[in-house]
Amino acid sequence: MTVASGHAVDKAAKPPVFWVPLLKDAILAGLVAVLLALPLVGLQTYDIGGGALGIRTHFDWVVIAGVAVFAGRLALRLLRQIYRARPTGRSAVLASLAAWGNRQAVPITLAGIACAGALPFLPFSSRYLIDLGTTVLIYVMLGWGLNVVVGLAGLLDLGYVAFYAVGAYTFGLLTHDLDFTFWEALPFSGLVAASFGVILGFPVLRLRGDYLAIVTLGFGEIIRIVLLNWASVTGGPNGIGGIPRPSFFGLPFARPAPEGATTFNQFFGLEFSPDHRVIFLYFVILAMALLTNAFTLRIRRLPIGRAWEALREDEVACRALGINPTTVKLSAFAIGAMFGGFAGCFFATRQGFISPESFTFIESATILAIVVLGGMGSQMGVVLAAILLVSLPEFGRAFAEFRMLIFGAAMVGVMVWRPRGLIAHREPTLRLGPQRATR
Amino acid sequence: MTGVESPLPLLAVENLTMRFGGLVAVDDVSFTAYRREITAIIGPNGAGKTTVFNCLTGFYRPSAGRLVMHKGSEILRLERIEGFRIVGRAGIARTFQNIRLFAGMTVLENLIIAQHNPLMKASVFSLAGLFGLSHYRAAERTAVERARHWLDRIGLTDRADWLAAALPYGAQRRLEIARALCTGPALLCLDEPAAGLNPRESAELNELLLGVRDEEQIGILLIEHDMSVVMGISDHVIVLDYGRKIADGTPAEVRADPEVIKAYLGEDEIDNTEDKGAAVHPRVLRDAPFGRSSA
Repeated sequence: MTVASGHAVDKAAKPPVFWVPLLKDAILAGLVAVLLALPLVGLQTYDIGGGALGIRTHFDWVVIAGVAVFAGRLALRLLRQIYRARPTGRSAVLASLAAWGNRQAVPITLAGIACAGALPFLPFSSRYLIDLGTTVLIYVMLGWGLNVVVGLAGLLDLGYVAFYAVGAYTFGLLTHDLDFTFWEALPFSGLVAASFGVILGFPVLRLRGDYLAIVTLGFGEIIRIVLLNWASVTGGPNGIGGIPRPSFFGLPFARPAPEGATTFNQFFGLEFSPDHRVIFLYFVILAMALLTNAFTLRIRRLPIGRAWEALREDEVACRALGINPTTVKLSAFAIGAMFGGFAGCFFATRQGFISPESFTFIESATILAIVVLGGMGSQMGVVLAAILLVSLPEFGRAFAEFRMLIFGAAMVGVMVWRPRGLIAHREPTLRLGPQRATR
Repeated sequence: MTGVESPLPLLAVENLTMRFGGLVAVDDVSFTAYRREITAIIGPNGAGKTTVFNCLTGFYRPSAGRLVMHKGSEILRLERIEGFRIVGRAGIARTFQNIRLFAGMTVLENLIIAQHNPLMKASVFSLAGLFGLSHYRAAERTAVERARHWLDRIGLTDRADWLAAALPYGAQRRLEIARALCTGPALLCLDEPAAGLNPRESAELNELLLGVRDEEQIGILLIEHDMSVVMGISDHVIVLDYGRKIADGTPAEVRADPEVIKAYLGEDEIDNTEDKGAAVHPRVLRDAPFGRSSA
């Protein structure tokens, strides 16, 4: 440490670096890390035979953790001090990148859609990649749906997965009891989920912020626990299986043709391949997600969308301007929930099997993380964050047990460098600018 | 100073009382505001001025009394209208003591949101708007034109696409007034519009309010501590103290009212000044911006 501070004095000559608070802060962080590491990594149980457990100590690991956190914290704070002194630092690079992104929003969007559309036909694409793409798109769609509630209307919803579950179970039950196909059930899934959005909306009309978050969290759990325990209807923990796959305009994807039906590959004269269905599912969710996006972008520019954003900004002012907060909130909940329901319906048909296990709180947290990480209210941010959050654990598989560590580090990194989300830019819903230019 | 013809009553407050538990914030207050007139409500802090506003604009339900609004030939009872409907039904728009703009949205968007209800109707609850029907687009153009009219009036046209939060304080105050005016009110209620303004901005505000009164032919109800605004533009001043009305009249009458001077300067001062004669009072009132008010 003495070496470090001695070395630093030379360096500190040019930009003023305040070493004492810096070191204090880093030592404190290191101590916290040691305290945390002591029980977590310092003590390890092992089998000493006969079913008894012994305790091994790994104090060297504790020291490593403490030193690593100390060094990391010091480096982080040091970098911040230096970059704050010089505005041409890394955050300026990120900011200019973001500004370029805003200017080129349309070409970037088109390129993104083209890439997404071409993905299954690229030479390196595999069934695994398309499956991953489908998962990412489900989360993009969920993120866009939640963005209406959290990003636009500013209603913090921690139980969004409930609507996803309602959509999935609506399809599951409709097909189980009434033999609905995916396309027949899709609108009902959205409708039922939207009704549940209104049902949740009513009791929480007066709540804001943390209180709202807690009630929505509870709502999410209520739905899951009802699904788990109402075994006579939902099948309880066994879930609902045998959910049919979607057909291509009435043409099923199957090797042996069902009686009196033509399969997709027969109709188009192709050899049967299980990939057809995977690719088709990918395009279905791509289309659904793009529709969600188009709808959201459109409704943002309509009175109801502006009222959502106004409600986020100031509810009292909204009332004074004659906006009914009740209908505005309920519509936000309903529309957000509807997209969750659509995504749930797709999830059910893709998996072919649903159970309450798929709709735990961690799903809500992931979707909310996508919205917050992407930048509240930003459609493009949701895409970036969904790709990051869903694919990072996948690519991290090579690192086995460290992948959650990498995941966490990436989250911390984003929050350090872009505290308001990856894309924090908000495009006005209408401008006077161009009109003035023509004058 | 008053209108040319006999003024038309716009709002009649009759025996308004507002209690919060044991506290009587507004106690049996009655007054009338007229069309084409600026009515100022003044009084020391805690006199119940903002509470009166909150009753008028539906944020509070009065404990007792009647609030009668004359809208054309229609007579509306404000206390029976649900809070958020008062703007649309009775045409009462307001601003707030602590500015309440939609800070994260642009100046223009703030003014468009003020026209939410007509736009919502034109877009058939957003369904017609979703498909971009021409009927809705025309309505939106009208809304933008109205917004532009007020932007021109408050001198913010070239900053229409700025975020509201990025505006300087005085411009935010003007924008909040313009936003209230965009609802097309019959009565405009302003809660301390001159608070925090410098003398030049204050004078501009006076001009704006007089212009609005004469061009729009609407009534303005004003809570204000800045005496240059109150005495300069009011047609009618109402003084509240501890929730009760203690004076009501033209600025000149109110300024000379011993009750008012007592409320503002306290008992001791009135004893001292009484020896020097009543002529002192108007000057005292004009120069000293009433007690704790001049923030």
